[in-house]
Amino acid sequence: MGFHSLRVVVAAAKFNLLITLRFFSGTAIALRLFAPIMTLGSAWVLYNQVYRGVLSPEFGSVVGSSGYLSFIAIGNAFYVFVFSAAFVVGRVMFWERATGTIEATFLTPMNRLAYMAGIMVAAALNSLIDFIAVFLIGILFGFQVTSLNAPLFISSLLLTACALFGIGLMVNGITLTFRDRTTTSNTLMILFMVFSGIVCPLELMPQWAQIISKFLPLTYGIKAMRASLLGTAAYDVMFDLTILGFLGIVYIGIGALMLKLIERNLKKKALLSVF
Amino acid sequence: MFLRVVLAEMKKNIKQYFFTSRVLFWTLALPLGNGLYFYFLYLPFEKGSVNLEFNASIFTLDLTGFTLIGQLLYSFFTMMLLAGVAFFSERWQGTLETVLLSPANRIALLLGMALANALNYMWLLMGVMFSWMIFLNVPVFIGDFLAFFASVLLSYLSIVALGMCFEALCIHSRRGHMYANMLQEPIMFFSGLIFPLQSMPRALLPISYLLPLTFGLISVRLTVLGGASIFDVAVPLGILASMAIVFFALAIWLIGYAERSAKAEATLTQF
Repeated sequence: MGFHSLRVVVAAAKFNLLITLRFFSGTAIALRLFAPIMTLGSAWVLYNQVYRGVLSPEFGSVVGSSGYLSFIAIGNAFYVFVFSAAFVVGRVMFWERATGTIEATFLTPMNRLAYMAGIMVAAALNSLIDFIAVFLIGILFGFQVTSLNAPLFISSLLLTACALFGIGLMVNGITLTFRDRTTTSNTLMILFMVFSGIVCPLELMPQWAQIISKFLPLTYGIKAMRASLLGTAAYDVMFDLTILGFLGIVYIGIGALMLKLIERNLKKKALLSVF
Repeated sequence: MFLRVVLAEMKKNIKQYFFTSRVLFWTLALPLGNGLYFYFLYLPFEKGSVNLEFNASIFTLDLTGFTLIGQLLYSFFTMMLLAGVAFFSERWQGTLETVLLSPANRIALLLGMALANALNYMWLLMGVMFSWMIFLNVPVFIGDFLAFFASVLLSYLSIVALGMCFEALCIHSRRGHMYANMLQEPIMFFSGLIFPLQSMPRALLPISYLLPLTFGLISVRLTVLGGASIFDVAVPLGILASMAIVFFALAIWLIGYAERSAKAEATLTQF
């Protein structure tokens, strides 16, 4: 069973990577990179042109000695990873339905989680291009690695990917139920973007925004990643990683259950392909 | 006949957009989230207000209002830009050839789509205005209602006209939708949506001046938050009016050209 699932993961990943290569488009890459470039550019203008390099004292006390632009660059790179990896998983069932293959997919005896995991692996490999590109672009805007902690960097990336995989499973459930293609994933993307501390330390946000941020895996992932690249010792990294792992387990559990129940319900009502 | 086409197209697009009542939630949630994102971008710096320099005057505007107005107008711009891909949707549904075979006036079709998007936008406008004014206490200060209405109307007309130009791209290219999406981020940057235009590097300003959104943002922000009079915003209003005329004329020519070209090369449906 385990070996069979592994084969499903590899096959799904290979299939999706091949599709990506076959339909490679420079425009699509540009589309993926525009958002972080523009955020970095805006942050650069705000920092250098509008406020002439003067930050609030609260920012310094929360973030420490690391620079504002490095802070933004890491947040953005992480966001790109989320955008490229997690939301591909969230739209799998929509595309299966749109291309007319959803019934065949659900007829196979393969493990659904293994299939989705394969797609996630392909999307994560694909998104590494964006991830690295944003860091390289960030250097142009003033990004500097002050202290590299490779194990922490990798573990924060992997644990965040697991948690986002769970969210992707949940989005698939919603997509299957509501015929919705992008609105759910777009709204989730905005939720992550706003409340995970990509452009602003959580401590400077209003209280209600801080409460929302506590439920988002990206919040802890970004904090751990910033600690791994900027060496900000003030962060309680182990706590963040533990919470991240816990959220990952919870989200994957809920997502897998949702997908199973929704699949059963849709099959019973013959609503897989047609509404 | 022209009016009937406009109304029919408008009705069709509204029904397609509101295929479920849940759309209303997403329509409100997305721009609210974007507005908050830009607001948070300012939190590491000074809080409270933004100085907007224009026409040798400096207007001090509330930061929340600055980002709110920016986001509202930008959302409208995006909706119009995406309305420009209505022909793309027709192609996707397999109805583009039928639509272009009909004797319906093309401009009437486009106006119908634009009006539908403008009406859909009203939900957003009301929802965002109420929620931001109540929860975030945005201090609205309209000193001259004529200036305010002229700013909104001319921003609307010029943005619609630019959206219509995009229709031509969607007839001509299979990637119209992708281009429309791609342009959203640079437009956000160059229009002065996120930061006041006087902070934009000088070399990039010519790009900003090509966008109607740039002048729409200046005039609407100044009239809604800064109490500017019609004389204060006469220059951006004049530019918006000129842009509306130029883009509208350009849209008529471009759409005619794209349609003729696509029919001649038999690329209306397939490439």
